[in-house]
Amino acid sequence: MIREIVTYPTPPSVEYATDVRVFDEEIFSLIEDIKETIKANSLEALAAFQVGSYYNIVVVKKDDGSFLELINPRIISQSGKVTTIEKTAYFPELSAKVTRYEAIGLVYQDRDGAQHSLRADGDLSILLQRKIDYTFGSSFFNKLDKEEKKLFQKKLEYGSDIAISQSCPTVFKRDYIVKVINALLVVMAALLIGSLFTEKSTSGQLFNYQSYLFLASVGLNIIYIFYAQYEGKRFTSCTSCQIGNIIGTAAILLIKLSVVMLLSYFIM
Amino acid sequence: MARVVVLGGGVSGHTAATFAAEWLGSAHEVVVVTPNSKWNWIPSNIWVGVGGMSKEDVTFDLAPVYAKAGITYKQAKAVSINPEGSETSDKPFVTISYTLAGREGESENVEYDYLINATGPKLNFGATPGLGDANGLGEFTVSVCTADHAVHANEEFQKCIEKMKKGERQKFLIGTGHGLCTCQGAAFEYIFNIEHELNKAGVRDMADLKWISNESFLGDFGVGGLHMKSMGFAVSSKIFAESLFTERNVDWIIGAHVNKVEKGKVHYELLDGSMGEEEFDFSMLIPPFAGVGLKAYAKDGSDITSTVFAPNGFMKVDANYAAGSYDNWKASDWPKTYQNPTYDNLFACGIAFAPPHPISKPMSSPNGTPIGPTPPRTGMPSGIIGKAVAHSICDRILKGKDAPLHEASMAHMGAACVASAGKGIFDGTAAAMTIYPVVPDFEKYPGTGRDVDYTFGEIGLAGHWIKHILHHLFLWKAKLKPGWTMIPE
Repeated sequence: MIREIVTYPTPPSVEYATDVRVFDEEIFSLIEDIKETIKANSLEALAAFQVGSYYNIVVVKKDDGSFLELINPRIISQSGKVTTIEKTAYFPELSAKVTRYEAIGLVYQDRDGAQHSLRADGDLSILLQRKIDYTFGSSFFNKLDKEEKKLFQKKLEYGSDIAISQSCPTVFKRDYIVKVINALLVVMAALLIGSLFTEKSTSGQLFNYQSYLFLASVGLNIIYIFYAQYEGKRFTSCTSCQIGNIIGTAAILLIKLSVVMLLSYFIM
Repeated sequence: MARVVVLGGGVSGHTAATFAAEWLGSAHEVVVVTPNSKWNWIPSNIWVGVGGMSKEDVTFDLAPVYAKAGITYKQAKAVSINPEGSETSDKPFVTISYTLAGREGESENVEYDYLINATGPKLNFGATPGLGDANGLGEFTVSVCTADHAVHANEEFQKCIEKMKKGERQKFLIGTGHGLCTCQGAAFEYIFNIEHELNKAGVRDMADLKWISNESFLGDFGVGGLHMKSMGFAVSSKIFAESLFTERNVDWIIGAHVNKVEKGKVHYELLDGSMGEEEFDFSMLIPPFAGVGLKAYAKDGSDITSTVFAPNGFMKVDANYAAGSYDNWKASDWPKTYQNPTYDNLFACGIAFAPPHPISKPMSSPNGTPIGPTPPRTGMPSGIIGKAVAHSICDRILKGKDAPLHEASMAHMGAACVASAGKGIFDGTAAAMTIYPVVPDFEKYPGTGRDVDYTFGEIGLAGHWIKHILHHLFLWKAKLKPGWTMIPE
């Protein structure tokens, strides 16, 4: 029977991680269900917890299509450290940088309760460590370093890996647009002051330039609003309320432009 | 007038004796037979072992306390029990051998109406070649099991600090010295207190710390691990322990049976059958525990030790010793009244009673070497059991021979454990954990066998304060100072 895979935000059960004590039909049928679920979802492996069972069981699909059944697995030796990007069915669509042991040795039991040992390295080692985390009521979340944990919490919040950047830029490209508008404002102010010292006809001509500059500035302000929003979405990990900043900045610029333009209208 | 004899004056025996004396009053006699002249609050020995406390801080003289309580105190070790009496008398008695200065080796038969065996463990250093021998601790490692051991451990530890200050790198190996040890908690506390003190001394960067243990996963603690419910979700003690070890940069070897200790090196076998070696400059390895080797004789003088005691030397009580394999283990296998099944005036409490089986999953290497923690019977449970046994005996003396016995099964009992991870008023830490029940009841609580609402843990400074307050509180209680009966076990 194909079972439903438990995914975040369903919290880890409080009844997980109990060792299998009685090797009976209930356990065998659970293992078969896990196998079918692995096949149906094209997964590499599943811990029993991931299909809602509290037994300490991990099933791994091997390269040749057969399955490795690990009952009550325990990691008893480890060596080397390696950091890779991991994905897991518990957090669909999400990934995180996790540091694991490069090679591990584990002991486990088979269906008859007989104990075996296994040494694993490379991808299998990482996979087994991730699955054994589940059998002890954890996920890779608890293995993340502080920075990665913060980032992963953001990923969980937005439900996506893609729109998340690891760092928040100190300078946004949209700020260049604001700089151009401010430069235009300075020019407009200079024209306004200049008009005080010129004749009426020259002043009327200057007002025409003033109007073009005003229209250009308003146009740039509109571009700023749309571009700033686009840029904001690319950096969702940045904590400041970007939409508020964008609206505020655009409004201040418009007020400044309007004041200069109104003064120009009456003076020039 | 009835006489209650208590063998052993540790946490369990002292609790049993003092409560028995309190409840029985002067109409009956309570006798304590213990080879030690001082009482030791063993949980604080780990602080003595790193120089945070002196031996005097964790011990006190027993004689004045027992004199005040009206308890007859015999500084002697118990040698044998004659539960049926002798050929000349039906009165059961225990044979003791004095350790008191001036009377060493002197033998005496002490008759009893009720006997409480609270002899605790024999620190079986001889079980691992090189760890020690029949005389006790060997020369290559240290121990924190007694106050004297802890003082010695601190002397060696300070030497290491001096070496590190001179630029010599040191390797610390702390853990269990045999595949069948218990008391991982003490070693756990010790390694983190060492780590804390190394930081304080400014030499942490010169030290490599490694944990070696017979647990099959980090955080087993001899109780099969526990599940800590905190802030809405529960997590295994394995994850908790691994996080702590990683955070404090302490490496670990798990599932290991230390089979030989040499100067600066241990040899071990892992659960997968592989063999390994680990070098060290300083090592504290907890020895396995065994019964103290009491003998029992029938009326005719024949040896009935195997009737009264289990093969490991601990006393048989009302447990189910025929539970069989792991899949048959039940909470009901665990003793409730701690009464010997053959002799109803014989009780055992604390480490001295023979547990029916381990709590952790039993495991062994392909070579057939059993590697797994034996069940802990120390701390809070041993105090509770001691008090329950004293209560039962007092009832039988005061209310009649048919008075019902009090029960204190570890399968119905919760326990709180505060494990120190560094001593300091402002920078100390300790992991405070509660577990209910101590022995998992898989029928009542399917899954983990425990009630996760009462099983939780937290690490922090407040934990250290609690641990330090408990140190003073339990010493206050053991010294029978005002209000001692109101302090829980």
